[in-house]
Amino acid sequence: MNSTLRRRLAYGSNATLVTILLITTVILLYVVLEPYRVRVDLSADQGSVLMADTANKLRLLQADGETVTITAFSAQEGKKEAYFKNRALRDLVEELDYASPIVESQFVDFDRERLTAERLGVTEYGTVVIQRGDARVDLKDRELFRRVGKGADKALEFLGETAINQAFSQLMSDSRRTIYALVGHGELDPEDREPGGLAELAAAARQEHYDLKRLDLLRAEEAPRIPDDAAGVLVLRPRVPLTAVEEDLLLGWVASGGGLMMAVEPQGVVPSALGRVGVVVPDGLVLDKLLVFPYKDRPVPRYRNHIVTQALADELLVTVLAGVAPLQASVPPLEGVRSTTLLETSRDGWIERGGALLNGEAQFEPEIDTKGPAAMALALELSRDSGLVKRGTARVLVLGDADVFSNALLAEGPGNVTFAVNCLRWLVGDDGRLSMVGRPQAVRRLTLSSDDLAALRWVVIGLGPMLAVVLGAAMWARRRGR
Amino acid sequence: MRHLIAVWKKEMRIYFVSPVAYVFLAVYLFLAGVFFYLGVTLTGEASLRVLLGNLAITLVFVLPMLTMRQFAEERRQGTLEMLLTSPVPLAAVVVGKWAASLTLCLLMFLGTLLFPAVLAYYGDPDWGVVATSYLGLIGVASGFCAAGLFASSLIDDQVAAGLIGVVMLLPFWLVGRSEALLPDDMAEKLRDFGVLAHLDSFNRGVIDSIDVYYFVCFTAVFLFLTYRSVESRRWR
Repeated sequence: MNSTLRRRLAYGSNATLVTILLITTVILLYVVLEPYRVRVDLSADQGSVLMADTANKLRLLQADGETVTITAFSAQEGKKEAYFKNRALRDLVEELDYASPIVESQFVDFDRERLTAERLGVTEYGTVVIQRGDARVDLKDRELFRRVGKGADKALEFLGETAINQAFSQLMSDSRRTIYALVGHGELDPEDREPGGLAELAAAARQEHYDLKRLDLLRAEEAPRIPDDAAGVLVLRPRVPLTAVEEDLLLGWVASGGGLMMAVEPQGVVPSALGRVGVVVPDGLVLDKLLVFPYKDRPVPRYRNHIVTQALADELLVTVLAGVAPLQASVPPLEGVRSTTLLETSRDGWIERGGALLNGEAQFEPEIDTKGPAAMALALELSRDSGLVKRGTARVLVLGDADVFSNALLAEGPGNVTFAVNCLRWLVGDDGRLSMVGRPQAVRRLTLSSDDLAALRWVVIGLGPMLAVVLGAAMWARRRGR
Repeated sequence: MRHLIAVWKKEMRIYFVSPVAYVFLAVYLFLAGVFFYLGVTLTGEASLRVLLGNLAITLVFVLPMLTMRQFAEERRQGTLEMLLTSPVPLAAVVVGKWAASLTLCLLMFLGTLLFPAVLAYYGDPDWGVVATSYLGLIGVASGFCAAGLFASSLIDDQVAAGLIGVVMLLPFWLVGRSEALLPDDMAEKLRDFGVLAHLDSFNRGVIDSIDVYYFVCFTAVFLFLTYRSVESRRWR
């Protein structure tokens, strides 16, 4: 081996070794530093890094090492806000992925990856499915986004992190809450899969960690009582009157601060407990000029301001009710009872009490009917001042229709599932998922007319290159002049 | 430092007395204008995200063309030997050339500042996000200039050096889009090597220490490789 070759070999191997060593050190340092990364968010709404509370929950979830899978489905393409929704959701799941090694996230194009949607039983665009072991929480588009402002100032806000944060709480909590539906008087049955049953509501409630069970006080083996694990009780359209014992048990349940939901039907049985909490069910049927086509007995409800109906009002979702009994809070209101109307007819609605038909349709007749708006659902909060409650505050929901929760209408009405689930959440006091608080991210829109766009096209595409060409030409001319 | 500035000045003069800089500026600003216009019409958002994401990808093809001349031309003309035997330290030569190409990039980015101004006129952009997005873009440009310089140091032919630069940079872009080509696990691991994964946080208004480390190391490693490559002429 001559000296030149020996020298090349020595220098070459030395250079190669140093290079390999440097690259290895850089990669190793990357691996070592990655878990200690520091992230500084300079965005205006500070929404690009996770809130401290979400990070804490991720750490708690990480403690047992079980993987949390987040599958986010895209918004409907072609819709006005689809780009913003997809971007916001994609950023959030990626941020969650960054933040914890136990999070496995996936953003799925709903239209292209139908199999994934089918496997997870997802039927709506923009749904987020969060799974941990057997536990699963589904977040719908309306829980992730909300509209704020009015008219031209109406804007979309992203509440995704708050919603996912609360979903983490649900995943961490092993306890499920039980809501009992009274049976034995012809009520809607949570185990009934027929169109008039409640099986679909039970399924929707299960995803919210609520178990909807039957409560048969008439066939109790021991002295009848509301079970200790009850978080709420439903009495949905009894066809025969409740016994005095049952009525007492329900009032006792309310007295202890329990949540009670009662639904009646026109000319149907009205539990006496309703009168005790200050709700009257006048005779007649609620009708409106604005009806769910082609039905004559399905008034389109107007949402009043309440956390149960807020999401429905924001998203303009219609809740379908069929054959609704009118409701009235007692006037003057009972002391210690705060009553809020949830659903009512428009001003063109009325309480129909018979009379002549015009072209086969009921008409408002001032002599016998009562002019609207007519209330179709009421939310009551009873304090100790009412004398009906001994502990805390009791919540009572009264509906002029039970079919709104039936399997048939739950599938038919765009807003029925949301309304039903929100009613259950409010009843049992899970207000957290109803009133999203946190730090919403707003979409920053441009206000551009078509004229602006046309002008902008030439400015942004033409101006820069033209300046560069002019500068180049000037330099060329200057050099030629020398 | 004196040597470094001298090299930088010489490179800048070469860029601006020839049509190279103006052609690059014109082409780049034209592309930027098209991306900006498309981004605004498609999203209607007061954001530069679409524009800067696309500009970063454009740099994969543009920057090797900008840097291909720097060492290849010196070698072809035989001036590299002079440079290597002059009292200018090699590190100053390498860093000076890199700084000159990065300066030209910064001038190109300066031309795109028209777009945030347009956004501010018609909307309310998030200035924090705009600032970090530009910071990310500068990180990409810095790394790509260093890689282009390395490609230029490998071969005498300018065009071949430019092509080598593009081929060298392509994987750093493609690994971020490799989900369809590779198994999920491997794609996930390789993603960290890609530029897009590290640009993402910047585009959302977040400065992440690991992303800063990535771009600094990307630049430093390629500058080191360039140094080694040029220095090898002394003993080869």
